[in-house]
Amino acid sequence: MSNTDTTAELANFLAHSLELESEARQRYDELAESMAGHRNLPVAEFFRRMAAEAEHHLQEVAELAGDTILPDLKAWEFDWPEAEAPETSSYEALHYRMSLFEAMQLALGNERAAERYYRGFADASDDATTVATATRFADEELGHAAELERMMTALPQQAAQLREEDDDPHMPE
Amino acid sequence: MTEAIKLKAKDYKSEVKPIWCPGCGHFSVLNAITKAMAGLGINKDNTVLVSGIGCSSRLPAYVDSYGFHGVHGRGLAIAQGLKVARPDLTVLALGGDGDGFSIGGNHFIHACRRNVNMTYIAMDNEVYGMTKGQASPTTPMDWDHSKLTPHGPGVRPFKPAALALASGAPWIARGYSGNPNQMAKLIAEAVAHPGFSFLHVMSQCITFCPEQTDWKAIVTEHEGPALANADEAAKVFLHEDGFQTGLLYCEPRPSWPPVSDKPVDGNALAGLAASFRV
Repeated sequence: MSNTDTTAELANFLAHSLELESEARQRYDELAESMAGHRNLPVAEFFRRMAAEAEHHLQEVAELAGDTILPDLKAWEFDWPEAEAPETSSYEALHYRMSLFEAMQLALGNERAAERYYRGFADASDDATTVATATRFADEELGHAAELERMMTALPQQAAQLREEDDDPHMPE
Repeated sequence: MTEAIKLKAKDYKSEVKPIWCPGCGHFSVLNAITKAMAGLGINKDNTVLVSGIGCSSRLPAYVDSYGFHGVHGRGLAIAQGLKVARPDLTVLALGGDGDGFSIGGNHFIHACRRNVNMTYIAMDNEVYGMTKGQASPTTPMDWDHSKLTPHGPGVRPFKPAALALASGAPWIARGYSGNPNQMAKLIAEAVAHPGFSFLHVMSQCITFCPEQTDWKAIVTEHEGPALANADEAAKVFLHEDGFQTGLLYCEPRPSWPPVSDKPVDGNALAGLAASFRV
């Protein structure tokens, strides 16, 4: 692989990493706001914490990218294994009455998806720098997943939260 | 010489925070719109979002552009008037299935027929969510979650794409809230289309229709180019399951109003205006 190819591959990887972390942070921020609006405060606080974690990683990737000229991709031009970036919480998995445990399960799935993505990128790359960077990111995501698992184990057992709407519409007789 | 700053999707969001339920598909539409605006490099000062009434119609407040939260079902009428008066603006009309296909159904038909150069995004969750979950025009016949329709509405659901086609819409696409990036691409294409573009979005209501989380396993992407023949498209739209996403039909025709080579008679306009004065 030529130097130009090497630079292009790493730049493409970093562009995807930045988007992945940026999307994760924005979605967690959005969820924290909406959960707080619906008075599900423990879950709102948890999502806020996850948003801060994602922001931290976003800054790390941005620092690593430095002055590298990254490809200018539109939202629909990124190449993801699924419809959205791997660490982005899926709207289908959400509910305003979800428990803290369920929120952690969701976040755990996100961390594992990100780990798989980075690991897959490393496996598919021939460029040593890209492989090393992607492997490091994958290992970091693995660490986040382990930390979440530890938090979930430490969480007091909760009864399943009722999701049915109990504020029925007014029905005049 | 100043260099233009490239805006990101988040730069197109306003300071107003959405009050939709967590998991609502409308968040996805908001994200898709801002991603499309960023992708196109749209000037927010020349963009207007017009809506009707309903959960989805709150969307213009969440975008950092001009917006108008209109009257129930009348977003399309306002948006068309605006575009005709100010053709230099990028105009998007937004609303839900109740707003667009029931209360504003007639405006929908005639907007398709009139073909003004603008985009209409119908955020379809098959329910009146703002009033806590009653059957809408697109609700399945057997949906029995509401006390108002305990055995289901018993009426065949409305087929927005089929009606749009029959009414003359030249550009018809379908998006899904579980895929905001595909939706962003469709919105960018819709805005670029020189005529009326109708984007039907399956936007889940996780609160009143939790079964809509199953959509993710059902949706498919349209393969191949968009149909360019209305007869072929009619067969598809009448018989499909409604879960096919992508640009489904595109058959451009001249938009309205036609460009006239005759100068506007200023005196006649002034006279007309004067005749309305009291």
